[in-house]
Amino acid sequence: MLSNVTKYHIPGSLGEALSLHNRESRSYFLAGGTGLALSDSNRPVELIDLDDLELDELEVDREAGRLLIGATRKIQQVVGCPDLEGFADGYLQDGLEKVGSYPIRNAGTLGGSIVRPFPWSDVIPILLALDATILYFDRSHEKRELSRLYDDDFRPTLRNAIVTGIEVSLPDEGVTRGSFQKFSRSEFDVASLNVGCTITERDGEIVKARMAVGARPSFATRLTEVEESLKGRSLNEDLIYETAELASQTAAVSSDRKMSKEYRVAQVRKMAEDALRDITSEFN
Amino acid sequence: MNITIEINDEDKEFQVKPGEILLDLLRREGYTSVKEGCKAGDCGACMVLVNGRAMTSCTLYAAQVDGKRITTLEGLNDELADSLRQEFLDVGAIQCGFCIPGVLISSYSLLTHNPNPTEGEIKAALDGNLCRCTGYIKQIEAIKNVARDLEGGNNERRREKI
Repeated sequence: MLSNVTKYHIPGSLGEALSLHNRESRSYFLAGGTGLALSDSNRPVELIDLDDLELDELEVDREAGRLLIGATRKIQQVVGCPDLEGFADGYLQDGLEKVGSYPIRNAGTLGGSIVRPFPWSDVIPILLALDATILYFDRSHEKRELSRLYDDDFRPTLRNAIVTGIEVSLPDEGVTRGSFQKFSRSEFDVASLNVGCTITERDGEIVKARMAVGARPSFATRLTEVEESLKGRSLNEDLIYETAELASQTAAVSSDRKMSKEYRVAQVRKMAEDALRDITSEFN
Repeated sequence: MNITIEINDEDKEFQVKPGEILLDLLRREGYTSVKEGCKAGDCGACMVLVNGRAMTSCTLYAAQVDGKRITTLEGLNDELADSLRQEFLDVGAIQCGFCIPGVLISSYSLLTHNPNPTEGEIKAALDGNLCRCTGYIKQIEAIKNVARDLEGGNNERRREKI
């Protein structure tokens, strides 16, 4: 219960939604509601429901080479979408199926998972490994790479904007496969550590690699050194060991009540290894 | 503010506060099968169907479901629901019973969308429900039995039990 909320708006356009938000600094956008409903905060005084804005589209545009997922699309609707079967060999759907529990995925949205960037988010490392772009409305339609989500200048921008969707480029050449690994204390607990990884191969050679680590316990980040080291090489057992070691050395992890720094370092090594082995088995 | 919900096949109008949680509204209005557990979306005791999809009512605002269809355990009165109830009793899948309305909602949702689930799919469907008594084994068995009956068209067996 948000006891101080006195107004509930259902705007009919992005412009109207933004105007309502700009008029009241203690107003909050509402999509699935799973994040905000857990807040017992006294701060919100107005809620702006985005449900009528039709931001839940899902479009695979092969001509433009992109996948567009609307911000209010429920996570489970992405998991169960037949149009996405086989996308990056199922990486996106398999990964998102590990987010929360079934009822939470039925209510939670992709956009909401990004606007409220919890450090333990599974959605963010999954999308970071796909080079996703955030689409947002800031009086005009804008876009920015998801990897810049935590940039100092972007957070204030996003606070006064509406995330409208996520865009992912379809693999243009070669074959892309991926693996998402999650370590949590129980089936329904949030991640203590998570790793998203995608590899694009052409003629047996890696042309593009992405690896992102989240719940470090700080925000998810890409391991660019690892990604560069994989380019131009072939996935084999030696490379898997070497890469897992490099990932454990370069991932900036620390301790929290769930896991010590040393344990996280060892876990990054193991999860990077598992992800790469998973991808290798898919290639073979 | 006023909202209209089709709840258990009946259109009803409610006056709600703009920041009110759906769980609080349902319990206030007498739908007491909807239990308050963790109030954090973890335990599934407050599970309801929203337009046929299982969701935790503690993570939804009442205003969000304006114009939608809500089903609580009180509104599940068809053959599938009766079979689930009876099978849960028969195999001993109920102990203290607090989680059971939520577990039955999840089970019903699963079998409605997937009448022939694997054990893995049953476990995945129940991953939003906490039961501290049974260890889930009997609940999974009950769902498997109902699914098997559905697949085999064994309605006779179900009717005998009810």
